[in-house]
Amino acid sequence: MTDPQAIAELTRELAVSGLCAVAALFAIAGTIGVFRFPDAYTRLQASSLTGTTATFSVLAASLVASPSIAIAARVVVIVIFFLVSNPTTTHIIARYAWKSGLDPWTDSARRRGRGEDRP
Amino acid sequence: MRPRSLWKLIRILATFAVLIALWFLFSGSFSPASILTGIGCSALIALISYNTFIDEHEAARNMVFPRLLPALAYPFRLVAAMYAASFRTLASVLSGRVSPRVVHFRSRLKSDIARVALAEAITFTPGTISIELDEDHFIVHWLNATTRHSARAGDEVKGPLEAAIKRIWV
Repeated sequence: MTDPQAIAELTRELAVSGLCAVAALFAIAGTIGVFRFPDAYTRLQASSLTGTTATFSVLAASLVASPSIAIAARVVVIVIFFLVSNPTTTHIIARYAWKSGLDPWTDSARRRGRGEDRP
Repeated sequence: MRPRSLWKLIRILATFAVLIALWFLFSGSFSPASILTGIGCSALIALISYNTFIDEHEAARNMVFPRLLPALAYPFRLVAAMYAASFRTLASVLSGRVSPRVVHFRSRLKSDIARVALAEAITFTPGTISIELDEDHFIVHWLNATTRHSARAGDEVKGPLEAAIKRIWV
């Protein structure tokens, strides 16, 4: 294992696996959060863990794994479109909930004994 | 040349530059036929769509065109902020303890594009979602709120990203 090319290849594979592991961690945590959190807004926050962080980690992994500059450039373009489009969809859902008059859950509502009792 | 038609020419050229850059990124080839097709199609699309791509009323040029160096550094800061916020949100998912609150605050940013960029950055970092953006007034849902004071909440939610965006646009 003294060949520099083999070492570079190994480092790259380790980075790709690490990023995929991070993506899996955040995807699972986001899914748990969607079931665990009390109302639409907080569930949206949990799902943004899956939708943003996990997706971005997979894209970063594919950027590291891409075999040529041309493909890496395309991944960069996908990342830029993702940076613009992903917050927009989350914002639309939150805005619709807000416009339709959905009251956000607060921990003080739980203390007063009304609203949801889940954490 | 009158300022109005100069501004029109600049808008057409900027649209053309973005289109041709995307063409080279997606095609990935530099053969003469590909370059000629790209220039022709980009010019045609730029002439048709420059008015939608860059609005006429944003007449100050530094309100539309980003400053290059801060614009290149900004994505890295955004991604760092996103991972930091993700780990905090991960902790509150696992512990199940949240104190969500809707906070209102204002921004110092002047141009529309900078305000939209800040709203996108707020939504992009897990733990905060921008619900409404009206001129410079933000309504944000904040998962782990520490304060109800609007100016302090604004400082904590926006973090260093507002200053970073202010260096790119105005």
